Amino acid sequence: MEQRIKALIIDDEKLARDIVRTYLGKYSSIEIIGECTNGFDAVKMISEQEPDLIFLDIQMPKLTGFEMLEIIDNPPVIIFTTAFDQYAIKAFEVNATDYLLKPFSEDRFADAINKAVKQIENESGSDKKLEGLLKHIENREEFLERVVIKSGQKIFIIPVNEIKYIEAQDDYVMIYSDKGNFLKQKTMKYFEENLDPAEFIRIHRSYIVNIMYVKQIQLVEKETYNALLHDSIKLPVSKSGYQVLKEILEK
Amino acid sequence: MGNPFIKNIKIFTVYLLIWVFISLIHNIVIVFLLDVKLEQAFTESIVYNTLYFLLGISLWYTVSYNTLENYTPVKIFINHSAAAVITSAIWVLSGYYILINIFNDDASYKTYLFNSGIWRFMIGIFFYSITVAVDYVIIYYNNFRQKLFRESELNALVKEAELKSLKYQINPHFIFNSLNSISSLTLSNPDKAREMTIKLSSFLRSTLSKNEKQKSKLVEEIFNAKLYLDIEKVRFSDKFEFIEELESECKDMEIPSMILQPLFENAIKHGVYESLDKVVIKLKCGPEKEYLKIIVENNYDPESVPRRGEGIGIKNIQQRMKLIYNQDNLVTVEKNNGLFKVNIFIPR
Repeated sequence: MEQRIKALIIDDEKLARDIVRTYLGKYSSIEIIGECTNGFDAVKMISEQEPDLIFLDIQMPKLTGFEMLEIIDNPPVIIFTTAFDQYAIKAFEVNATDYLLKPFSEDRFADAINKAVKQIENESGSDKKLEGLLKHIENREEFLERVVIKSGQKIFIIPVNEIKYIEAQDDYVMIYSDKGNFLKQKTMKYFEENLDPAEFIRIHRSYIVNIMYVKQIQLVEKETYNALLHDSIKLPVSKSGYQVLKEILEK
Repeated sequence: MGNPFIKNIKIFTVYLLIWVFISLIHNIVIVFLLDVKLEQAFTESIVYNTLYFLLGISLWYTVSYNTLENYTPVKIFINHSAAAVITSAIWVLSGYYILINIFNDDASYKTYLFNSGIWRFMIGIFFYSITVAVDYVIIYYNNFRQKLFRESELNALVKEAELKSLKYQINPHFIFNSLNSISSLTLSNPDKAREMTIKLSSFLRSTLSKNEKQKSKLVEEIFNAKLYLDIEKVRFSDKFEFIEELESECKDMEIPSMILQPLFENAIKHGVYESLDKVVIKLKCGPEKEYLKIIVENNYDPESVPRRGEGIGIKNIQQRMKLIYNQDNLVTVEKNNGLFKVNIFIPR
């Protein structure tokens, strides 16, 4: 007999978990390895138990479903179960990973399971689809309010107003904040697009700075500027960065 | 409110024109009926009417201090009688001395002035009465307009609160999750599913048929809020608890409508939704000095990162309380050690 599919249910409402559990009862090929009530527990559970399939709510205490996905290493196949239709993109329903709008029928649930099972059986391509989904969702969201970082076993949630500046480091960025410095696997472009441009400015190819922390702009030599932060850190400012910075600071 | 005869150019102009008109009549009367010489009549009317023109402006101050809010009608009548006598006396005498000095060598004019003193005094009383009456009309008209303005502002704020609440209550997160709970209960506990359906229905009904009242009884407000809390309770059965401690004085008291509901919504949104621990929402009410104090408090996870848009609901409540009771600081917020507390003081 084939190995059973390991499924994890992540939702902060018991009744919502119950209905998934009940629906899943008919599938002998799927085994429920656990339930989580929040993003923190889920991150831990996923890294320990490595489920094949997760049922994921979006709005949860501590970490939202999306924030949770950002920090897990090998995301399993995901079926979102949520009341938020603004994140649903109908087009993705024909793809492997599914998006169930609460309340959902048993038939609709069966469709989702079929897609997920197919995806698990021939694994290729699943990551790409998820990435596509995430990208779309991020674009629709308003500006970032917080950034989630996993460092070792610890998870840090940093409100964006505590970020001092962001530095490019190859495929990663280093986030300098009041709480410490954190490496995150995202691009500068991502932060440039998702942080509020009234608060965060790309002052240089390698730097995005929070204007709340900028004390002054210093002229180093002709047409070369530095941004001096309140804790006397100096960041280089490019020509175009200088223009933007000047405009915003003059306001 | 400042003196409208000085501050309001329109009122000032009308007032000035009235006095020009009175001077003219004055002139005509004494020239044709009393045979006063034209030059003397002209001077006299200018002097006396300019004097009253100025006195009349200052009468505003006696009127604005003698309102029904400050004194009893009898006291006001006495004050004004005294003021009328004094004002008229000052007016007649000062006019008399000015004119006597100007026409010092005309004995017949001086006699005429002296003899007409009593008549002038009567006219002074008459002017006083008219001026004061007009002042009162202006004051009450202004108060009336202010009241209308405040009422319309209040209505706008209540509408805003209702709209926000409505928007919140019929948002997908609340409605669809509640429906999902019902869907789940139909499988596990049909009786409870039916109960939840009824709760959700009565809650939606009460939400959609909000009446226009500015104030309602505390118990009614609690009843509506409880419909909402009951539904959240089904969703998060063991995650929160609602406790109410009302002293007997509070049961029948009237409070501005829709001020409690947003506070409970806040407690659920920022407390229950964001916390892993059990959240206790407490409603307390009891007398404190000349107020009835209502407290809504809940514990929350201090580590949860605050989201934008927080505190807008509370600001609305603060504005409304200020407009209704004409008093500042009736709503205070305390936030420490993971306890969020809103105090509302209702004047008795």
